[in-house]
Amino acid sequence: MLKTVNLQKKYTTDEVETTALVNVNLNVRQGEFVAIMGPSGCGKSTLLNIIGLLDNPSSGEFYFLDKEISKFSERQRANLRKEHLGFVFQSFNLIDELTVYENVELPLIYLKVGNAERKQRVEQVLEQMQIAHRRNHFPQQLSGGQQQRVAIARAVVSKPKLLLADEPTGNLDSAHGQEVMQLLSSLNEQGTTIVMVTHSPTDADYAHRIVNLFDGQIISENVKELAIL
Amino acid sequence: MFKNYLLVAMRTLKRNLGYTSLNVVGLALGITCSLLLYLVIRHELSYDTFHSKADRTYRINVDKISAHGPESNAGTPYPMLAVLKASLPELTPATHLYNEEGGTFTVLSLNDQEAPRKFREEKNVLFVEPAFFDLFDFPTNGINGKQALKDLNTVLLTQTIADKYFPGENPVGRVLRMNNLVNLKVTGVIPDAPENTDLPYQMLIDYESSKKINTFANDSWNSTYSNQQIYFALSPGANLKQAEDRLNEVASKYRPRSPGEQERYTFQPLTQVHFDERYGNFKSRTISKTTLWAMGLIGMFLVLVASINFVNLATAQALRRAKEVGMRKVLGANKQQLMTQFLLETGMITLTALSLSVVLTELLLPSLSKLLELQLAFSILRDPQLLLFLAVLLVAVTFFAGFYPALVISGFQPISALKSKTATARAAGLSLRRTLVVLQFTVCQVLIICTIIVHNQMEYFRSASLGFDKEAIVNIPLPSGKAKDLMALRPQLEAHPAIKATSFAIAPPSANIDMNTSFRYDEFSVERNFSVNMKMADEQYLQTFNIPLLAGRMYEKSDTMREFLVNETFLRQVGETNPQAALGKELVINGNQNQGKIVGVVKDFHLTSLRDKIQPVVMSTFTDIYLSLNVKLEQKNAKAALAHLQNVYQTAYPDDVFHYEFFDDSISRFYEGEQRQAYLFKVFSVIAILIGCLGLYGLVSFMVAQRTKEVGVRKVLGASSASIVGLFSVDFVKLVLIAFVIAGPISYYFMDKWLQDFTYRINIGYWVFLAAGALTLLIALTTVSVQALRAAFSNPVRALKTE
Ligand SMILES: Nc1ncnc2c1ncn2[C@@H]1O[C@H](COP(=O)(O)OP(=O)(O)O)[C@@H](O)[C@H]1O
Ligand SMILES: [Mg+2]
Repeated sequence: MLKTVNLQKKYTTDEVETTALVNVNLNVRQGEFVAIMGPSGCGKSTLLNIIGLLDNPSSGEFYFLDKEISKFSERQRANLRKEHLGFVFQSFNLIDELTVYENVELPLIYLKVGNAERKQRVEQVLEQMQIAHRRNHFPQQLSGGQQQRVAIARAVVSKPKLLLADEPTGNLDSAHGQEVMQLLSSLNEQGTTIVMVTHSPTDADYAHRIVNLFDGQIISENVKELAIL
Repeated sequence: MFKNYLLVAMRTLKRNLGYTSLNVVGLALGITCSLLLYLVIRHELSYDTFHSKADRTYRINVDKISAHGPESNAGTPYPMLAVLKASLPELTPATHLYNEEGGTFTVLSLNDQEAPRKFREEKNVLFVEPAFFDLFDFPTNGINGKQALKDLNTVLLTQTIADKYFPGENPVGRVLRMNNLVNLKVTGVIPDAPENTDLPYQMLIDYESSKKINTFANDSWNSTYSNQQIYFALSPGANLKQAEDRLNEVASKYRPRSPGEQERYTFQPLTQVHFDERYGNFKSRTISKTTLWAMGLIGMFLVLVASINFVNLATAQALRRAKEVGMRKVLGANKQQLMTQFLLETGMITLTALSLSVVLTELLLPSLSKLLELQLAFSILRDPQLLLFLAVLLVAVTFFAGFYPALVISGFQPISALKSKTATARAAGLSLRRTLVVLQFTVCQVLIICTIIVHNQMEYFRSASLGFDKEAIVNIPLPSGKAKDLMALRPQLEAHPAIKATSFAIAPPSANIDMNTSFRYDEFSVERNFSVNMKMADEQYLQTFNIPLLAGRMYEKSDTMREFLVNETFLRQVGETNPQAALGKELVINGNQNQGKIVGVVKDFHLTSLRDKIQPVVMSTFTDIYLSLNVKLEQKNAKAALAHLQNVYQTAYPDDVFHYEFFDDSISRFYEGEQRQAYLFKVFSVIAILIGCLGLYGLVSFMVAQRTKEVGVRKVLGASSASIVGLFSVDFVKLVLIAFVIAGPISYYFMDKWLQDFTYRINIGYWVFLAAGALTLLIALTTVSVQALRAAFSNPVRALKTE
């Protein structure tokens, strides 16, 4: 599904150079559920953003669906994003001016999915995330757990091949956190590849494989159970 | 997609209601002004464009270069038209037009029982030849004008006059007596003259009849009268320049030029008549293209200032949109899609403002029409041109106001936008905002400076010494050629205690009447190459108007020209340095018709408005030509005096209508145009400042909100409220100062140019600029302080908690 070769990321701000990623070689196969763990500031988000085509590596290669894409233009990357990728963030990032339904609908609009099909797919995913009864609410009217379910619904409504989640439970209490993890887990079982950043060992338990990052380098990988290959 | 954009736009705008209203109100004000100005400009540009021959119709003017500078006049010698018709067949149709500034009209009754009704008109009685109807396309409602006015003593009434003179009756076939001189038979009723013509008429009378009304009519090539003009159409294919040369060639046979005299007949396109102040027109109102340009610029500037508000507020607010933009990008939106979205939002704001402007325009147009004395039409749905203008405005403002913010906002990097780390975008926006605020302040200051200068020039008009008294003097027009009748009653006239002095004359010292003649001074056998202005007045003129004599004495009472007075300018131009030397010299004027001795020299006084230089003047007596009785009154008994004057007037002229005007009023009417300009400047400056303040207020309130925490920390550390206000103000003071440096030279340049139109004008003092700068600073600081004070007095603990 995706593969990085000697991936490097450096930030240069006011003559201070921060190396966020050093020679990262990561391979994620179709259908896998990978958790990335590590202390704060070790480069987890940076890695996820590069994988998610939201950021460019400073050097190294990045293969996504067997294409080397580190030199892709912003427009090409936007197209790949909307077709193949779904994102879930710690802070939900719902659009406040849109209702639950409209938030979830948005990716399909950008994909130019027809009216009828759009409606059907949004309804379906809202049911799946058990949030359909709140379809006309605005994000501020929902609890954190509900908001994250909407965010997940929005991330998967376009049926992405790869779902990226950056500390999806970080802003939630443990009960709601577990709900979200179960949702992700069942999505994975239905075939969605997931790469998730987390601090919580409990959350990491849902993954097949844990990648430990330290100071921008992968220091170890534990395969929890054999992936379904 | 579109629906989604609209939805978000609507909700965003609703959510930030304060910000939205600032933008909408600002834009609506700006757009309303530009819309009003557009209507005015369009109206002014439409004058006489509706005639089918408009593009090849011309007026004959006279351009002279004389010792006292260039002189321009639209009056032509009376015999010219006949010569033109005989020798220039390509100038056809050609017609005389004679404009009489009103008169008295008596409706003769059908039977003897009924008393005749009398009316007085103040303007625009137009005498036309049949060719008038070939040349121009005024609405006649099916009446054949050529036929209707082919006979002597016929008149076509406009609807308004017909309704006024013959309410409920059929005017056709009835008889009107004009100025108690001519009986005119009504041959038809035509619609009122359109507003946008410089040939306005309340009625059309056959041209031949004008010869009895026009006291100046004669057969000389040497005299012209500005109300007697020639218009013609150039045949298709004919050469204008050649025709002009030919006319001058032919005319020179009849009117030999003296050596050094430069005089030329020139052809002025009909479509320029409205814009050239030098020649004037029968409407007595011209507007220069420069003024129209200035209006257009002001309209654009007002929209600009409002758009700048939009850009400033939108970029300042951009951070609020960062999360949304970031997320949309994550979901795969590209830059163009986001730009479209934000432009659409701007478009909606603009559209709202535009709708509001249409309502405002509808409300304000009557007042503006009244102020400008124009009938401006505003009916959007039946006016495709106006709709187009509105559409262009909508698109232009949307792009101008929306493009940059859309570019900034859609350019956010998705990750940093989600983290609200848009520091770089903010910094870039900041310097742009500064630049734009400077631009706004510059526009405001330019307008303030212009307003002050225009205002001062107006004050100068009011207060400048004209060389004669204008207070407590009334001018009473007299029926032409009949001054003697009232002069005979002079003892009775002056018997009233509130009447201090009276003088019969052709006109008061400053008036629009202009009689010029060539002359011979002393032993010179050739006529001088400049003409002199004739002021015909009786022996009490100087006393009535308090005009001082420099040498000699006033001429003696007489009915004909016997003795002369000249003014200082006359002396200068004939080369006399000592007024005494002129006394006793012989003067011959009007060809060889009149001759006499100079008996006195008067101090220069202004003959017309302060736009024009004082001309050389020759004064003398000539009862037959007097058209005005001038009376110096005791101000507090003016009412009784006027009643007495009316009484005596009616005794002398039982068939005429008494009418008077205070002299200072008629003088201030010289400057009506400028007065209106001054008023418009004031209004638009205030609006520009208001719009600017709205933007500034929004910007500062945003800055204050953004720096709440900083202010809190500063206060905890012991900062005073004053220093907090200072924190926000320093920046703006700098911007005002930069704007001041730019605005000064620009406004100096334009106002200096504007003042050049007036021979007599104020000096632009430094204080004007300082005052404008100080005023802008004061306004800016007040606006900033209102918001900054709120921050300064806020509770620091709460400020820190909310972060
Ligand atoms: N936009 C940026 N500019 C400069 N440095 C950054 C930027 N984003 C991240 N970093 C730095 O890169 C390192 C990795 O950050 P990040 O990937 O966010 O860590 P994590 O998500 O593991 O907490 C940190 O040292 C951080 O300071
Ligand atoms: Mg992180």
